[in-house]
Amino acid sequence: MIQIRNLHKSFDDLHILKGIDLEVGSGETVVIIGPSGSGKTTLLRCLNLLETPTSGSLELGALHLTFTPGKPLRRDETLALRRETGMVFQSYNLFPHMTALQNLMEGQVTVLGRSKAEAREKALQLLKKVGLADRADMYPHQLSGGQQQRVGIARAMAMDPKVLLFDEPTSALDPELVGEVLRVMKELAQEGMTMVVVTHEMKFARDVADKVVFIDGGVVVEQGPPEQVFEATQQERTKQFLNKLSV
Amino acid sequence: MDDRTQRILDIVVNSFLPLLKAGVEFTVPLALISFALGLVVALLAALARLSGNRVLSGIARFYVWIIRGTPLLVQLFIIFYGLPSIGLTLGAFPSAVIGFTLSVGAYGSEIIRAAIQSIARGQWEAAYSVGMTYSQALRRIVIPQATRVAVPPLANSFISLIKDTSLAAAITMTELFRVAQQITATTYEPLVLYSEAAVIYLIFSTVLSWVQGWLENRFSRHVAK
Ligand SMILES: Nc1ncnc2c1ncn2[C@@H]1O[C@H](COP(=O)(O)OP(=O)(O)OP(=O)(O)O)[C@@H](O)[C@H]1O
Ligand SMILES: [Mg+2]
Repeated sequence: MIQIRNLHKSFDDLHILKGIDLEVGSGETVVIIGPSGSGKTTLLRCLNLLETPTSGSLELGALHLTFTPGKPLRRDETLALRRETGMVFQSYNLFPHMTALQNLMEGQVTVLGRSKAEAREKALQLLKKVGLADRADMYPHQLSGGQQQRVGIARAMAMDPKVLLFDEPTSALDPELVGEVLRVMKELAQEGMTMVVVTHEMKFARDVADKVVFIDGGVVVEQGPPEQVFEATQQERTKQFLNKLSV
Repeated sequence: MDDRTQRILDIVVNSFLPLLKAGVEFTVPLALISFALGLVVALLAALARLSGNRVLSGIARFYVWIIRGTPLLVQLFIIFYGLPSIGLTLGAFPSAVIGFTLSVGAYGSEIIRAAIQSIARGQWEAAYSVGMTYSQALRRIVIPQATRVAVPPLANSFISLIKDTSLAAAITMTELFRVAQQITATTYEPLVLYSEAAVIYLIFSTVLSWVQGWLENRFSRHVAK
């Protein structure tokens, strides 16, 4: 589904991603872990071109993008890739001037050109799925953080993306609200949604991930099935990172 | 009642309708038309400034610099008295509309630009992440939110504009203030007439600040915290 090859990203002369190779199979859930500043967010943002990679290549389904320093992407390539990816943000980023329902309808109508009726039906169905059917007409500020994030997930799903990207979707939440969001994500994973998740929730990684990727200093240090990365850790840097978390 | 008091009372009563009429027929339309056109100019100038295109943003910056750096009265004189010498003769009303439109456009563009910039980056990113283009994100997500930010300062500039239209008297437009001047010229009661004009301006701007309050109330709902 996704094939990332030798991906680099620099901000001016700050070299952040230093040659990332990563594969995400169809229906897989890949969890990315790593210390603060290691480039997790940057990598995820490169996957839907909120950041343009400096060099390397990215394949998603039938789309093949190659990045060359100093050469901007074509607009249609950018839009095409974004249509195939959905993004769930740490701070939700719901549209505050729209109800939950309208948040889910907006992209469908404006971008995909669906009719209002069709978009509405899809939106209601997704709100039901994330347990918020009764909150459809509420505005974001009237919802709890956990509810907002579930709307955020449903908004991304409404566009029928091939892959969902999550950047620390639960780290802005009060601890008692984390569970409801992770439950929704787990359900999606089990239904065969392809997902790339940056998170510090190790239990989620153990239970749900098909693959765990440890990133440090802008490179993939170690990757494999969760049992392997967590129980049979190969690399010293991974061990240190995991040790610090469990203390 | 002595003669002087009676005379003043007569002047006030007789002049009130002509003054109000000049206000309603010229002052208010001049302000409304200039403001509506000015908002369009302001939005275009703000978008040009934000476009990242050097030429466009340079032009917008130059325009704002000129208009904000020179007195409105001087601008009106250039348009009405100056342009005819290069063959461009405009009536008082069109001249005033052009002058005030350019003024609203310049000050308004700064307000709109600030309002657009005040919208969190995350809103743009969320719009892009559902596949929107720049103009879709602008139209559907950013402008509606920026409007809420821009309404109070724009309403303030509309109230200023109502008052500034009195400058059009200097280019012979028979709006409220000029009518007050004309009546003064025949009655020799400047204190009475100009105070009366002031009261009518006060009525206009007070009504407008009620409208402003109502608008702000409407627009302040559901704003991101
Ligand atoms: N737009 C930018 N301009 C300059 N530097 C940036 C930019 N975005 C990120 N960086 C830098 O890139 C590095 C990696 O940031 P990134 O947000 O990807 O880390 P992260 O692994 O997600 O960290 P965290 O766990 O704290 O979220 C940081 O040093 C950050 O300061
Ligand atoms: Mg991050």
